[in-house]
Amino acid sequence: MSTITMTPKDRINRLFKKEEIDRIPCFSGMGNITEYGLKRLGYRFADIHLDATMMADSAATTYELFGYECAVVPFDLCVEAEALGCEINVYAHQEGILYPTIRKKLINNETEMEISIPDGLESRGRIPLVSEAIRLLKKRIGEYVPIGSYVLGPFTLAGQVMDLNELLKLSFKKPDKVGRLLDILADVAIRVAREFIKAGVDYLTVREMGATSDVLSPRVFKSLIQPYLKKVIAQITVPTVLHICGKTNHIVQFMVETGATAISVDQKNDLVESRKTLGNDVLIFGNLDPYNVLVQGKPETVREAVRRCIDDGASALWPGCDIWPTVPPENFQAMMDEVKRYKKAR
Amino acid sequence: MVNEERKKEILEKLKRAVINYDEDGAKEAAKEALEAGIDAGEAIFNGLVSGMEEVGRLFEAQEYFVPELLMCADALYAGLDILKPHMKKLDLGVKGTVVIGTVEGDVHDIGKNIVKMMFDVAGFTVYDLGRDVPLDKFVEEQLRTDADLVCLSAMMTTTMVGMKKVIEEIKKRNPNAKIMIGGAPVSQDIAEKWGADGYAKDASNALKEAINMISSLKKLKEEAEAKANAPQAG
Repeated sequence: MSTITMTPKDRINRLFKKEEIDRIPCFSGMGNITEYGLKRLGYRFADIHLDATMMADSAATTYELFGYECAVVPFDLCVEAEALGCEINVYAHQEGILYPTIRKKLINNETEMEISIPDGLESRGRIPLVSEAIRLLKKRIGEYVPIGSYVLGPFTLAGQVMDLNELLKLSFKKPDKVGRLLDILADVAIRVAREFIKAGVDYLTVREMGATSDVLSPRVFKSLIQPYLKKVIAQITVPTVLHICGKTNHIVQFMVETGATAISVDQKNDLVESRKTLGNDVLIFGNLDPYNVLVQGKPETVREAVRRCIDDGASALWPGCDIWPTVPPENFQAMMDEVKRYKKAR
Repeated sequence: MVNEERKKEILEKLKRAVINYDEDGAKEAAKEALEAGIDAGEAIFNGLVSGMEEVGRLFEAQEYFVPELLMCADALYAGLDILKPHMKKLDLGVKGTVVIGTVEGDVHDIGKNIVKMMFDVAGFTVYDLGRDVPLDKFVEEQLRTDADLVCLSAMMTTTMVGMKKVIEEIKKRNPNAKIMIGGAPVSQDIAEKWGADGYAKDASNALKEAINMISSLKKLKEEAEAKANAPQAG
């Protein structure tokens, strides 16, 4: 196989299959649009969540401007919750960057937890819109670039549809009740994932950042969170990345046990330790600090951090969270250049 | 005169109730404290708050996590609701009014609620604006209530940026108002650059900060009492 013709898509497909690659790829399974890219398009951040063409255009800019090795939609975390009946706020009046949030939750207290999935879930909210954006991206750059999307993990989705304080307390006081809700939300994640797979995604990220060990104990993660992640991941037919942020060193083994093709961790994870725990065969994506390094740093800081991630054992250079849109273009370029220059692969 | 043995026992009960997130236990112990004639302020600080201090240690040591923390806070409030009406107002040199909220775009309020608890315990009047609060609202509310302190919380970097404007606006209109900012992306550096008077990094930090402030309030309270109990000079 000639390494010269390896496209981002080849490289990442091979990575997921643990086949030989020319260098580690630089990509993400979470939002990675930039203000720089949006400005070139003349789009307002508040508008790009509500129109499939604008969503696809925006997502493509990071590849087109920087050679970033993926295109990912959507950009917010409200798609599933909205389809379930939550009301969202896109801050339409705001010129700056405010991510959509849930304005009105579905579940306000314990007694409202017995929900059922609304009929025709797949055609509700913005699920069709995101699917359409995936199709547009596929057509436009899908030959060379892997197209990604994400679904929320059941617990993180539970935190979107119900009051988070209540959810956290009940996960301790009434784990059975929370478990029943997570089981239903796992079905939601599976059905949404299927739509995105039908639309053509090459890989999916399951974002379960609500269940970080900054918030829940590893014990609760194992007993209450992991079973439903397993359920979701077992049903996803494309390579799956499980992302959890925060202090994850105590749960990396549990993350791998979910059956995900790769795990994704952020800058609070000690990658060297994770490698020791998991060995060399597991795909670990991470763990560039998307704000303190990528936004606040100088290009040289970024280059240094890139080398450190690779040396520490990252299988792909991947940010710890969504890339903050205010990233300076020279920093983004420095990240890409350094990955290519350093040219290492595990 | 309160029986010292009995007092110790009740304070311990209050403390245990908070640590064991036992709301009913906290209510019961709070009632017992009042019946036994224990000063409400003492029951709050040496019972409930002592318990919360221990919870802070358990949280630091990763024996407790956020759910436990929230349940302990509920137990503290269960006791506080009973004791607070009986608490003597102390003159701490400030009016004791605080405006608190999470800035627009941000719906995370756990850290904010922990800081709020600190002010509730200390007997402040708290105006809680909730979460996802438009920036102007903080400025308006400070002016309306003439609050000594405004606390802004943000969990996300993009929403944090809005704090800068709020600080400027409030300081312009009322230079004496103190501003505390908090949340994961906030740093000492940012707090200083933007002209905030204090900051708390995360829930654990907010709790520590809260405990520090409570401890200093405790000291103030003791000093005030020592003064009050001292024989009149001259």
